[in-house]
Amino acid sequence: MSPRAAAALRRCAQSPRVIVAAIILIAAIAVALFAPFLAPHSPQDQDLINTLLPPMWAVGGDPSYPLGTDTLGRCILSRLIYGARVALYVAFVAATGAMLLGAALALLASYFGGWVDWIVSRMVDIWMAFPPVVLALILLVGMGAGVNKVILAIVLIDWTRFCRVIRSEGIVVMKRDYIAAARLSSFTNLQIMLKELLPAVSPLLITLLSLEMGIAVIVEAIMSFVGLSVEPDVAAWGVMIADARQTMNQAPWGVIFPVFAIFLLVLAFNLMGDGLRRALDTRLLISRGAA
Amino acid sequence: MTVVLEAKGLAVSTTAGGRTVDVLRNIDLSLAPGRVLGLVGESGAGKSMIGRVIARNLPGAFSVSRGALHFDGRDLLTISDRDRLALLGRDIAFIPQEPLTALNPTLTIAQQFGEHLERLGVPRGERRARIVSALAEVRLRDPQTLLDRYPFQLSGGMCQRVLIAMAFAGRPKLIVADEPTTALDVSTQAHIVQIIRRMQRDTGTALLFITHDLRLAAHVCDEIMVLYAGDMIERGPARSIINNPRHPYTRALLAANPALSGPRLRLASLPDQMPAISAFADLPGCRFAPRCPVRDPACAAGGFEPLSLGDGHIARCAPGCLSGETQAIAPTALAPWPVARSDAPVLQVDNLSKRYGGGRTLFGAETPGVNAVLPMSLSVRPGEFVGVVGESGSGKSTLARLVMGLEPPTSGAIRIDGKDVTKDAPQARVIRLDALQMVFQDPQSALNPRRPVQSLVTQAMESPRRRADAVTRLSRAKALLTETGLAPEMLDRYPAQLSGGQKQRVNIARALCVTPRLLVADEIVSGLDVSVQAQILNLLLDLREARDIGLLFISHDLAVVRYLCARVIVMQNGAVVEEGVTEEVFAAPQHPYTRALLAAVPPDDVDQPWPVEAA
Amino acid sequence: MTRIALQLLLRRLLLAIPILLCVSALVFVILRLLPADPIAMSLPPGATPEDVERLKRDFGLDRSIPAQYFIWLGKLLTGDLGTSIFFRRGVGELVSRALPATIELVAAGLTLGVILGVAGGLAMFAKRGTAAEQAIDLSTTGLMAIPEFLWAILLILFLGVAFPLLPFIGRLDPAVTLPPTITGFLLLDSLLSGRWDALRSALAHLVLPSLALAIGLAPLVMRVLRSSLLETILEDYITQARLRGIGERRILIGHALKNAALPTISLIGVQGGFMFGGTVLVEMIFAYPGLGNLMVDAVRNHDLPVIQAVALIYCVLVLAINAIVDVIYLAANPKLRAAS
Repeated sequence: MSPRAAAALRRCAQSPRVIVAAIILIAAIAVALFAPFLAPHSPQDQDLINTLLPPMWAVGGDPSYPLGTDTLGRCILSRLIYGARVALYVAFVAATGAMLLGAALALLASYFGGWVDWIVSRMVDIWMAFPPVVLALILLVGMGAGVNKVILAIVLIDWTRFCRVIRSEGIVVMKRDYIAAARLSSFTNLQIMLKELLPAVSPLLITLLSLEMGIAVIVEAIMSFVGLSVEPDVAAWGVMIADARQTMNQAPWGVIFPVFAIFLLVLAFNLMGDGLRRALDTRLLISRGAA
Repeated sequence: MTVVLEAKGLAVSTTAGGRTVDVLRNIDLSLAPGRVLGLVGESGAGKSMIGRVIARNLPGAFSVSRGALHFDGRDLLTISDRDRLALLGRDIAFIPQEPLTALNPTLTIAQQFGEHLERLGVPRGERRARIVSALAEVRLRDPQTLLDRYPFQLSGGMCQRVLIAMAFAGRPKLIVADEPTTALDVSTQAHIVQIIRRMQRDTGTALLFITHDLRLAAHVCDEIMVLYAGDMIERGPARSIINNPRHPYTRALLAANPALSGPRLRLASLPDQMPAISAFADLPGCRFAPRCPVRDPACAAGGFEPLSLGDGHIARCAPGCLSGETQAIAPTALAPWPVARSDAPVLQVDNLSKRYGGGRTLFGAETPGVNAVLPMSLSVRPGEFVGVVGESGSGKSTLARLVMGLEPPTSGAIRIDGKDVTKDAPQARVIRLDALQMVFQDPQSALNPRRPVQSLVTQAMESPRRRADAVTRLSRAKALLTETGLAPEMLDRYPAQLSGGQKQRVNIARALCVTPRLLVADEIVSGLDVSVQAQILNLLLDLREARDIGLLFISHDLAVVRYLCARVIVMQNGAVVEEGVTEEVFAAPQHPYTRALLAAVPPDDVDQPWPVEAA
Repeated sequence: MTRIALQLLLRRLLLAIPILLCVSALVFVILRLLPADPIAMSLPPGATPEDVERLKRDFGLDRSIPAQYFIWLGKLLTGDLGTSIFFRRGVGELVSRALPATIELVAAGLTLGVILGVAGGLAMFAKRGTAAEQAIDLSTTGLMAIPEFLWAILLILFLGVAFPLLPFIGRLDPAVTLPPTITGFLLLDSLLSGRWDALRSALAHLVLPSLALAIGLAPLVMRVLRSSLLETILEDYITQARLRGIGERRILIGHALKNAALPTISLIGVQGGFMFGGTVLVEMIFAYPGLGNLMVDAVRNHDLPVIQAVALIYCVLVLAINAIVDVIYLAANPKLRAAS
């Protein structure tokens, strides 16, 4: 490993941001993996006698429902735990997909320039004319609802986030003489792209990937909030918020817990991205919001 | 006699590796009104640090640890921030190194200059007139039209004139000029030096002139102080320093500088390079000792007082060294330039040209194009060194990229061993890249920071055509390092761990990997210090001996071209204006541009007046 | 300057036409992938297959997709946005009522967000290198982890329900009668007709939704402004200005801010466009009768003509914001002015 990479890794490991983020993420992944063992109830079990219970520490709380129940008497804690599965699944798959698509197009555009770059740039222009949420809604109307459709929608929308940043960084790298030197060493186009160009943009790529995971969590929450994501029998944080919104006056906890869960997970991804950005010394635009 | 600036035993310290080290020590200087003192040294010598102490603009970790610094009778080290701020711009002014970035791009010339005049107390109504006359004084044409322009609309030379005019506007007592010509083209340099000198003489201002160029300093300054690794090693009247240098380093510096006239001597190149700040703590005595050709063990151990050599000439060196074997640094004569043999040329270029842009837009409007290279021809025979000289924008770098096939030419033909390789077809590329390789200008940009040296120098063996196993690559890498004078420990180093000279050697080693017969080298020594430059130039001469390799050497530095190349081509604005045998061209230049270029270089002879005041 | 700005706007307009054509075609194709049948959904349970066929003909849904697209495009050029399948009303009418509401909301959100962001960015810069800066920096990271629609819910929970200080449903108090429609913009109409009660109520109703949008924007503006200020003060010309004896305050205001503002302006351009996306859910949550509400209803009802039209209008709004910000950028950047 180059001393540069080693130093970057050391800075990552010493960054409080990265450490805090890693702890939250590892905890979240563990919760999602071991959901059946951790959840006190099945997320779908209704207890129509004990509806809208407050958390166990509040007056009228029931220790068997640590965070209380919703309108149908379902255990909020259990639903939160199972909801983490949906959120993390979407975060990892969708963000990786968007990265692969966006980075591939960006590498092609910055390496070949000319008409390839022109086409990719015009595509980005067209995509950028849509507010992402609007495009997501349209795509989900067209494709029909479902978690995997949400993932596909995120990939089809958010590749531009990667493409824009990686393309402009790639163009800077392409001006470096070491690209010309690789050409004079009779490298093939693919070799130059993968051996010289890709490593140069990879710190940026990793940082963006982390930030994109946070965005994917938010988009999934939005889509399940409006009922376009998970099947009705699956617990997701957005669904919980939408359900509990109706009874917000009597039972604010039903809203606050899932909001906090989203906050924590997105915070972890953002902190990770922020920490990586500093440690890897990538100068990039600060992540734009999910909307 | 009054003194404007006086330093006594000044030292600046920082911590490196947990130890306190002096990055500048024992600095004594005094500068009288109307006099010019040159601070000369290679990068890292600490010469800019003195200017920063005066401005109290030291980087965070540095501080003045000992000594005194007085300006016009006031103690600059203890003066309050408020009083110091009052002095800046009024009594002490600065001329920067990078004129293009030293002016605010969002403000017009009149706005920035006006702000400065406002501070100097010039009433609003008079400011524009004052600016116009100040700009006229620095020989800017049509100053009226410059007022509402932005800095990026002016050339570097024009920006520097504006900054000079601003510096002199307050009639300051002291001006600090830190490498004011380094970022400019050769011909502009001479004009800028001339303007600074004239204004300084007219106003009687004292000038602290910081430069890496000993010869330039000799012509500009009354007195010169040579710095090495934070030490003042020699000081004295300019003429005395140049004609009778006493310190081994000063002598080495002069001997490493190729000359524009007289016999061609092999450059004496010191081994290694100036120590970095982190190494200072391990050099208690003379910091030059490890590289000194006449060192004795006592030097490295202890300090010694400066020796007065009379006539204000002082050197900080052991008496034995000063008087001793000066022969060790004396240059040796060089064999005559490599003679062009009658072989068929390796590279032949016919009517090659390059035009950028100049197409039509979507709506059919013609866009103006730029002729980077006008049709030109040249040929290089095996083992021949050909120089291409020109300033920025002359098209010399584009020429290199065309020859290497990094850009398609607009017209003309390129032949290698008589075979046409103009089109960048796969077949042509094989022929071209077997015969030709390129050494790039900026090793920072030319070496992938993520590859270790051994992977860099043998990267050609990753190409499908030359794929080799790890053992073969390693032994090839070792051989290349030996050939370019790099130690085997370098194999696993990364570019960030190399010095500028080492990086450039790696850059050369990589080009040699495929055993080309001709190297194309674009400004490969322009970023290096003189002593390191000498090492690289000698390496190129040695490679010619060993490999019979040819060289197309592109440079703005006439002296360097004279040192290496038997033939020279002079380019201006994309066109060849003169070509021929180097010695003949330089001795009797025919084209006015060649004459102007030669006149812009400070002559080796200090007594020859320079720069010559142009009309 | 004005001439260059007009040229820029013209160029933007010329570029917008192909973009909008592509966008509309894209939307059209995506929506025709629809697995469900929007007509069947909008009819009462007793409808016969003949009814469905008739309606499909009426809405042109029986033709090929390209034919449908060109019919739709042709009508669009005459100003006809089609008819809502669900409401059985002209889409143009629905949109014309919702559009001013959304523009008002975004204008308020953008203004608030930029003010908060610039103030915060300057504060962070002023406190650079201190613990206070670190604290602000961390809290912006926290703020950025909550998307607009959750801010909307949290604001309702705290300032609407727990401490009922501000209204959070609709644009106007039910007790207040609507001011006469002059421009369609509620604030402007109240102002023009001197209806201070309506103005006060409309402003109060705008606070929470625009705040939800502004909290999304402000931390980004803060960070970009802070980091570009930090970068700018390392520039040569700042050092040189210091060496001319110019004071720190003057350097910040006269030299650094002007240069550091440029990245912030381009950020606001991009974010301003995205803010329209933020309004979709914020409007829905606040029952604010804008485009977003219309869009969400249309999505639920698979009301294709409405979705198509609203999506296109969103794109027009995004491009318009980008163009406005471009002009501002041009005014702030002499280098760009000189180039064109």
